[in-house]
Amino acid sequence: MLARRNLPSKCSFGHLESKLASVDSTVMRFVIGSFAVCLALIALAGCGPIIWQRLTVNQPITKDQVTFIQEGATRLSEVARELGSPDEILNLKNRLVARYHFIDTKYFRINFGWGLRFFIPYYTPDLVLSGGGAGTDVFDVACDSNLVVQETAFAFHKSSSRFLFPWD
Amino acid sequence: MRCVRSLLLLALLAILTGGCAFVRGTYGEEIKPLDLSSIKKGTTTRAEVATFLGAPERIVEVNDHEIFQYYHFDMKSGLLLFFSRTNVISEDVFVFFNKNGIVEDIVVGKKKPPLEMQFWPFGE
Repeated sequence: MLARRNLPSKCSFGHLESKLASVDSTVMRFVIGSFAVCLALIALAGCGPIIWQRLTVNQPITKDQVTFIQEGATRLSEVARELGSPDEILNLKNRLVARYHFIDTKYFRINFGWGLRFFIPYYTPDLVLSGGGAGTDVFDVACDSNLVVQETAFAFHKSSSRFLFPWD
Repeated sequence: MRCVRSLLLLALLAILTGGCAFVRGTYGEEIKPLDLSSIKKGTTTRAEVATFLGAPERIVEVNDHEIFQYYHFDMKSGLLLFFSRTNVISEDVFVFFNKNGIVEDIVVGKKKPPLEMQFWPFGE
């Protein structure tokens, strides 16, 4: 009885209770929201159901970078000093061709069956949609037998490297 | 509240770093300028080049030139969550010999800037 008498009025006690309840619901909402974000991140992590991948080999060579080359005068070693060494040297009838490659590969994959592992742990079918493309830019330097540049040529195919859906 | 937040932050960090990988790989020995300085055009023989640099990965014959090709590849790959990017760069060395097996020319590129470790697959 004494304790009850020392308590604040019934009205203020009710106010405190509702305040506590609102703090509880805020915390719960925060915890549930964060948990949902964590679950989504787990689902998407590493070997998850969706991935964008890209592979590049070397750096692209632009037309501005090769303006120093003078056909009939510049030597292959000078070209290599500026652009780096070529990736391969090809043998033609009475000359050689030094080739520079820039390769760009893009790949996209989504597995719609990934979430089924939570319901069918022993056998999870894959429902995969994936697609990609690879493109190669080539810069050719044709030289005579004295390794002096005779001709140069570009081939651009980099735009064929895209993230694709199978039906695109 | 603060404890819950800290725990969730820790869990988030663990999840983010759990789905990540950073990989580095090389193929072939890197030939340093010092190794090449001992090769003189017009005097060094094929056998001496093989002694200085080791056996070449590839030998090509082009218009009476014999060419020793030394491969060197450097690779860096990053994976974070659902994004992955792999960058490869090649820095080969070519040594050209004349008909008599004497070094005629050396084709070597200037040192390229170090590869970037990236995971973002979009853009350039």
